[in-house]
Amino acid sequence: MNQKNYARIVLVATLLFIYLIVLPIIFRNQRYLLNIVITASLLSCASLGVWITFSIGRINIGQGAFAGIGGYTTAILIMKAGFSFWQSFLLAGLLAALIGFLFGLVILRLKGVYFAMLTLSLTETFRLIFLNAEGLTNGGNGIMGIPRPGALSIAGITIIPNFGRSNIFFYYLSATILIIVFLAVWRLYKSRIGWIFKAIRISEDLTRSCGINIVKYRIMAYSICCFLGGIAGSLFTVFYQNIFPASFQVNDSVYFMLYCFLGGLDYLAGPILGAFVLTGAFEVLRFIQKYQEGIYACIMIALMLWLPNGLMSLNLGKVFGKRKEKELETTEADKLLKSYNPDSGRKSLKKEG
Amino acid sequence: MVIQMILNGLMLGLSYALIALGLTLIFAIMNILNFAHGQMYMLGGFVVYYFYYVFGLNYFFALFMCIPTLALIGVIFEKFFFRRVLTLGRREESSMLLAMGTALLLENIALIAFGYKEQGVPPLIHGVIKIFGGYLPADRAFIILMSVLLIIGLLVFIYKTRPGRALRALAQDKEVTYLMGVDVNKITMLGFAVGAALAGLAGGLLALTFPIFSGSGTPITIKSFLMIMIGGAGVVPGAIIGGFLLGMVESFGYGLISGSMTYLIIFAMIILLLIFRPQGIMGKPWG
Amino acid sequence: MAILEVENLTKRFGGLTAVNNLTFHVDKGEILAVIGPNGAGKSTLFNLITSYNRPTSGKIIFEGEDITGMPTHKIAKLGIIRTFQETTVFKEMDVFHNVQVANHLHFKSNDLEEFFNSPRAKADHLEVERRTRELLNYFGIEQYKDEIASNLPHGHLRALEMAIAMSADPKLALLDEPFTGMNAEETDRAMEMVRGIRDQKGVTVILVEHDMRAVMRISDRIVVMNFGEKIAEGKPAEIQQNEAVIEAYLGKEEEGELEDVL
Repeated sequence: MNQKNYARIVLVATLLFIYLIVLPIIFRNQRYLLNIVITASLLSCASLGVWITFSIGRINIGQGAFAGIGGYTTAILIMKAGFSFWQSFLLAGLLAALIGFLFGLVILRLKGVYFAMLTLSLTETFRLIFLNAEGLTNGGNGIMGIPRPGALSIAGITIIPNFGRSNIFFYYLSATILIIVFLAVWRLYKSRIGWIFKAIRISEDLTRSCGINIVKYRIMAYSICCFLGGIAGSLFTVFYQNIFPASFQVNDSVYFMLYCFLGGLDYLAGPILGAFVLTGAFEVLRFIQKYQEGIYACIMIALMLWLPNGLMSLNLGKVFGKRKEKELETTEADKLLKSYNPDSGRKSLKKEG
Repeated sequence: MVIQMILNGLMLGLSYALIALGLTLIFAIMNILNFAHGQMYMLGGFVVYYFYYVFGLNYFFALFMCIPTLALIGVIFEKFFFRRVLTLGRREESSMLLAMGTALLLENIALIAFGYKEQGVPPLIHGVIKIFGGYLPADRAFIILMSVLLIIGLLVFIYKTRPGRALRALAQDKEVTYLMGVDVNKITMLGFAVGAALAGLAGGLLALTFPIFSGSGTPITIKSFLMIMIGGAGVVPGAIIGGFLLGMVESFGYGLISGSMTYLIIFAMIILLLIFRPQGIMGKPWG
Repeated sequence: MAILEVENLTKRFGGLTAVNNLTFHVDKGEILAVIGPNGAGKSTLFNLITSYNRPTSGKIIFEGEDITGMPTHKIAKLGIIRTFQETTVFKEMDVFHNVQVANHLHFKSNDLEEFFNSPRAKADHLEVERRTRELLNYFGIEQYKDEIASNLPHGHLRALEMAIAMSADPKLALLDEPFTGMNAEETDRAMEMVRGIRDQKGVTVILVEHDMRAVMRISDRIVVMNFGEKIAEGKPAEIQQNEAVIEAYLGKEEEGELEDVL
C-alpha cells in the first residue's frame, strides 16, 4: 500500500516536472509547439467538465455551447464594455454556470439518448444565437483583435504583471488553471459529493430513497461542468485573440467526449490524458492533414472495439488512477464467498427463529 | 405564398419522414443512436450522382443502387462494430461514441473520395406544375410521390411481412424474440441495413433538388435527431409525424424568416416540448 | 397510535386505476403486510407513499403531517425508507461506500464544508464510519466491506440492501417483496432480520410480499388488495378465513400460494 502511494507520488512529481519545467524549456523558442501544449491544457479543462456529467450518468454533447458562451462573454466584456481579462474570465465562468444551471433545471430530467440529443442540439442552438445576435457578437464576422491578459492587481497590489504577448506566460497561466481545476475536481471526487454523483449514476431511485436530493446534486454537477466549459472557452478566446460562431461546434463537443473516453471514464485523470494524447497525436499527424479527421475516427472506433475502458485501464491505471474495479474477478470472489458460512454475523438472531 | 410554402413543406416533410424512419428503426431494435445517419444520406446522394450523372445510367437504377450500397455499409457497421461493442459494452456511452466515430469516418472517406465541391444532377423531369397559385417543379412532385410510396412500402414491410414482424418483436423484447426461434443477429443486421438504406434513398431522392456534398451529413444527422425527439424515439408513427412537422416548420420558417432564426425557434420549441413531454409526441413514457 | 394514515388514496395511469380509494393505517411498532394478486396495486402504493408517483387524489399522513406529493428525499428525511422489488444496491461501489452514501442524512455539514474538509465535516465522516461499521456488523456483512457490491451472493445482497435502508434510521420501512426468490432457510433468516429491525431498532414495517407462509407468520395485520381496492383487513387468522380474499386468489390460478396455506 505504501509502496503504491510512493510510486504514485513519484509519477505525479515526474509528470508535473515535465509539464511545468521540461516542456516550457524545450519549447521556449518554438511558439507552435508551446501552443499545442496550451491547447491541450485548455481542452483538458473543458473535458474535465464533460467527465463530471458522465459521472452522474449523463452523456453530454453540449460542452461546446458553454465554451462558446464563455468565449463570447469574455470577448464582449473586454471589447465592448472595457472589462479586464481577469474580470471577464470569472464572469464568463459564472455566466456559463448560471446558464447551465437554468438549462439543468429542465434537461437533467432526461436520460440516455434524449439527454445526448438535446445537449447536441444545445451546441447547435448557441452557434445560431451567436450568429444571429449581430449587435453583440458581430454575427458571422466574429470578434477579432482581442487583447491578451493584462496585469492583475487586487487592492492596488500587482499580483500578476503585464506579460504582453509572451507565450510562456500564457503557458503557465493555462497550466496553473488546469492544475487548480484538477485539484478541485479531485477533491470533489474524494469527498462525499463525489460518492453521491457516482450513486446517482448507478441508481437515481435508490439515491433518492436514501434522502439525497438528487435534483440538487445533478444540477450541481452540470453547473460545475458548464463553469469549466466557460472558463476554458474564455481562455481559448484570449489565446487565439478572436472568436467566431464556428469556434465551438458539434465536433468540438464530440471531441471533449472522446478525450474522456480515450483516457477512461472511470479515472479522473482520464480526460487530461485523453486530451494530451490526442492533441499531441493530432500534431504529429499534421503532415497527413488530409486524413486527420479520418484517423481520429479510426481511433474512436478502435478504442470502443478494443479498449472500451480507456488508456488508464492499462497498467498505468493501477499506479495513477483509482483502484481498478474488480468486475472481471467475480469468479474468484464468488468462490470465496460461497465457501463462507453466511450465518456467523447473525447468530443471535438465528436462534430466535 | 402560403401555398408555395405548403408545397415545399410537403416535399421536405415527407423526405424527412423517410430519414427519421430509418433512424428510429435502428434505435428501436438496437438502442443505438446512429450518428452516421446524415452521412448515409450524403452517400446516397453521391450514389445517384455517379450512377445517374457521371455514368449516365437510368435514374431509377441509380436510386435503386442506393439500397445495396448503403445496406452493405449498414451490415458492415453492425456486424463488425456495433455487435461487438453492444455485447462487451459496460456503459451505454460506448455505442454512442462508436456511432460518432463511424459518422466521422464516413464523412472523411467521402471528403477524400469526392472532395469539398458541391455537385448537382440534371433534373429528371422538366417542367413546373402550378397548383392553387403555387409552383411545384416536377422533380419535387416526383420526390413527394416517391417518398409517399417508400413510406407506404416500409410500413407494409414492417407490419405485413414476416421479417418485418420479427423486427417489431425485436424492438419489443429481445429475449422473447430469441426464444420464439428468431435469428436475432440476422434480424438485427436486417434492421440496420434497412435503416441505412432508407437514409440512402432519401439522399438519392433529394439529390434531385439539393446540392450533393460531403459535408451535408452532420446537419441532416442533427435534423433527424430533432425529428425523433419531436415524435418520440423508436416509435414508427412518431418518426413520420416528427419528420413531417420539421419539414413543414422549416419550409414556413425559411419563407417567412431567415434559416438560422428558424432553427433557433425550432430548438426553443423542442426544449419546451420536452419539458412537458419528455418522451416526444408519440413516445411511451419511460423511467 | 397510527404512524401512517392513508386516506382515500387514488392513482390513475391514463385509463387504468392502479389504486382506488384506498384507506388504511399502520400503528407504531407494527408489521403490516399488504398482499394481493399481481397487478393489485401494491407496488404503486409504495411508489405513492414515497412520492415516486404523485397520487391522483387522496392523502398520506405521516406522524400527523400531510406528506402527499412531498419530494422523496424529504420523505426519507422525515423517516420513511423503502426497498425495491429487485434487490437494489449501488452495484459498482464497495459495500462500505454503499452504506456510507446511504448515511447521507447523518452528515450535518453542508457541501462547502465537505469540499474544504472542515473540522465539522471530518467529525461527520468519523461518525458515519462508525455507524457504517455498526450497521455492517449488525447485518453480518462486515467481512465484505471492501467487496464490490455486485459480487455479493444473493443473501448478503439482501442484507446490504437492508443495511442501506436502515442507514437513515427510519421510523417506517416499506419493504417490497423482501422474501421473494429465497429458499426456506434464507426466508427464515430474512424474517428474523425484519423482526430484528422492529424489535431492536423500533422500526415500523409495511411489507409487500407474495410468499404467503412468510406473510402469515411475520405480520401483525394484513391488508388485502385487489384491482387497486382494499378487499379485506385483519389479523392473519382472520384473513385466512375471509371469503373475499379466497375468491380473489382462487380467481387467479397462477398465484396459488394462498391455497397452500389455507
